Amino acid sequence: MRGNWLGTVTGLLATGALIALLFVPLGTILVRSFTGGSSVPGLETGPLAVLTDPYYLGRIGFTAWQALLSTLLTVVVGLPSAILLARYRFTGRRALTAAFTVPFVMPTVVAGMGFLALVGPNGALGVDLRNTLAIMLAAHVFYNFAVVARLVGGYLESIGPRLEEAAATLGAGAWRALWRVTLPLALPATLAAATLTFIFCFTSFGVILILAPAGQFATLEVEIYRLTARLLQLDAAATLAVTQLVIVGVLSLVYTRLQARLAVGVDQRGSPRRPSLGGTALLGTNMVLIGVLVLAPLLALTYRAFTDPGGGVGLGNFVAALDAPATIGFTSLGLAVRNSLTFALVSGTVAVLLGLVFAYAVARGGWRFLDQLSLLPLATSPITLAFGYLLSYPLLVTTVWGIPLAHALLAFPFVTRTLLPSLRAQPANLAGAAATLGTGPLRTLLRVELPLLAPSLTVATAFAFAISLGEFGATLLMTRPEYATLTTAIFDRLGRPGAANYGTAMALAVVLMALTAAVMLVLQRRVRTEF
Amino acid sequence: MSLQLRDLTKRYGATTAVDGVDLEVGRGRTLALLGPSGCGKSTLLRLIAGLERPDAGTVTFEGADITQVPAQRRAFGVVFQDYALFPHLDVGRNVAFGLVEQGLTRAAIQARVTALLDTVGLTGLERRRVHQLSGGQQQRVALARALAPEPAVLLLDEPLSNLDESLRESLAIEIREVLERLDGYAVYVTHDQAEAFGMADEVAVMRAGTIRQLDGKQALLDAPRDAWVARFLGHENVWEGAKAQRVAEWAGVRQAAGDALLLRVDMVRLTDQEPGSRGVEAIVTRVEQRGLLWRLELAVARWATSIHWSGYARELRPDLDTPATPSVGDTFTLSVPRTAWRTLAADDDAGAETAAQDAELHA
Repeated sequence: MRGNWLGTVTGLLATGALIALLFVPLGTILVRSFTGGSSVPGLETGPLAVLTDPYYLGRIGFTAWQALLSTLLTVVVGLPSAILLARYRFTGRRALTAAFTVPFVMPTVVAGMGFLALVGPNGALGVDLRNTLAIMLAAHVFYNFAVVARLVGGYLESIGPRLEEAAATLGAGAWRALWRVTLPLALPATLAAATLTFIFCFTSFGVILILAPAGQFATLEVEIYRLTARLLQLDAAATLAVTQLVIVGVLSLVYTRLQARLAVGVDQRGSPRRPSLGGTALLGTNMVLIGVLVLAPLLALTYRAFTDPGGGVGLGNFVAALDAPATIGFTSLGLAVRNSLTFALVSGTVAVLLGLVFAYAVARGGWRFLDQLSLLPLATSPITLAFGYLLSYPLLVTTVWGIPLAHALLAFPFVTRTLLPSLRAQPANLAGAAATLGTGPLRTLLRVELPLLAPSLTVATAFAFAISLGEFGATLLMTRPEYATLTTAIFDRLGRPGAANYGTAMALAVVLMALTAAVMLVLQRRVRTEF
Repeated sequence: MSLQLRDLTKRYGATTAVDGVDLEVGRGRTLALLGPSGCGKSTLLRLIAGLERPDAGTVTFEGADITQVPAQRRAFGVVFQDYALFPHLDVGRNVAFGLVEQGLTRAAIQARVTALLDTVGLTGLERRRVHQLSGGQQQRVALARALAPEPAVLLLDEPLSNLDESLRESLAIEIREVLERLDGYAVYVTHDQAEAFGMADEVAVMRAGTIRQLDGKQALLDAPRDAWVARFLGHENVWEGAKAQRVAEWAGVRQAAGDALLLRVDMVRLTDQEPGSRGVEAIVTRVEQRGLLWRLELAVARWATSIHWSGYARELRPDLDTPATPSVGDTFTLSVPRTAWRTLAADDDAGAETAAQDAELHA
């Protein structure tokens, strides 16, 4: 809107925030990868040395390879659900769709602990798959099949069943129509979902660290973490971080292109129908399989947490977690929960404010380039971001603001993505009408636009809160004993041998799962995000 | 040999979309299913196609019961209102879709596609992408695609409704030609009375899930079953209740208490002669000019009501070479022959549609 000073101000604020909180850290990493001496004397530095080192090339190759395998498996698992959900109308459809997203919103640490409880040492299924490619792929599928199911399912649903009906009248039965019509139609959405899944699997961190910590399974993200936190080879870390950034950046561009083509949808009609006998069988089988996939790790986790070291069922692990033996220096459950919640509250607020500023600047101020730029933190992996903070704002990290700020930056793109469609959907003349009645942009925002945004704001806040609760990578890199969160506390205990530590780690994971589930209930009311 | 529907019923939850419909289409004939939105005509068509399963009743085709046969084995051709072309296939492959299912050789398919595109006037557009075509062209492709497998039955669901006025006429002509040449059976669904009359041999008027009247076109116009059907077909001068009684009395038409009365205004002459035993005075209260056609509303004091009349200026003053334009306040004598009157059943289903839909009909 012309003359909207608030639009200008928010645009400037947003740009400033982007520069300070994103570009400066990333720039510092970039500079560091080219200049600066190594902290380990005698070691070859410089980006060329790193990128031609067969070890690092192997890491890059492995990261891509496991991401590719994970993506293929995820698509195979997710497509049937997508097609069945879009095609049929049945009781419990809403609940099923919500159940799909449970794994996606679960913290990586919880997912990791769940799989450990299921197929780790002393796992419920009796087989130890720790440090195998299989467990890594399984966890990735667990996490990401919802992306495929919802993206492709939503797309197919918007197209409607009319084209399959036309195919039927031309002699194509259910399977022929699936092969000749449904799958080709779903291709754009499938490619977009696959690209997104690939990005998530490529930057995988928590899952790897917990399920496959052995050296040969290290992805780029894990490698960067090790180089920064353990080996203090910051230059090599910087080079890898930049490499990952470039790869993910390119993939993100590909994704946005693919996603834009989805919007140019086909406008058909017809509505989903009740399934036939065969359809019901397929639906039932799929629901059971997905249910097992989603529930098994979480149930195993819960069971394990409530199993005392002695073997009986009880609260032993939780009680043990409440104590924090000063000698070993573990974080108690109480402190971890307090920190997690505090950080979530603070970062949630900052994320929502930041996200709102961005959304307003794009929708009302006309700062359209901010729309794409607000996605940058998503392309920047958490480890890279934290690494950038360590390099550019070393003092910040020592304060209590370091971690919430990192969380806020990682979360605000989701807030913007949630608020933008709602802001855009508001009638264009609303602000004009308010102006003729004497209110300026700020008052209009407070009295008119924000109240209308309330539902989206709730969803966005819950989203930001959940992301902060479950954040692991950045938190781990920036952690200090007094700032330990649930995620780092769990990882801590995993790192020390002993059944007791294992048990308390499970207990902490269950608490984290419960907290996230509570936030999820708020989210479930209306999730209208565009990735 | 025919396509028969017996007692066909389809329910969606508490609503009955199709309620015990009986219908028969003869070979080589086109039946129009005419009715307002929501009357169930599209559902009925989908039942015939096999895209929906009926809750009761049977569909019989040339002696065989096909009620439980799914759509892909009936293989009745369907032209949808929203074209339903496959966006990932070009025009040629769209048209060829059903032929691929039939297992024809590539050469045979090629030949057939070319021939069909010629028939619908889209020669040479095989490689065009669907989204590059206009609405009228897309519907032509849909028609060609439906005809390609030489289906025994062709079903058309409001094929012209999505098109602009200007495109409708040419495509309507095309469809009419196709239907005339068709050897099999055809059912044409529409809400437009003129379209139904243009395309079909017989018309079934549908309302709230049931067929109200099934007849040839002239028979429908001459003898509509009730006041609702009369109005839906375009008769404007239909009276019910006390008004009907009063007018019937003047006309000397005997009817029962609840009956409705129809005046065939196309049989009424407007003259400037003295009112006599068959004539009554009328004064123009409203004039509307629609191009060359005049629509008048004339108040008839003797009947205590008004009639609607439309026609060309020449019919008002046939003696004049240059027709005079009518204006408010002009008086005429209506010359009404006996045969212009018809007794009908009253509209017995007044709540069948919402008021909005009724308003749409009478517009």
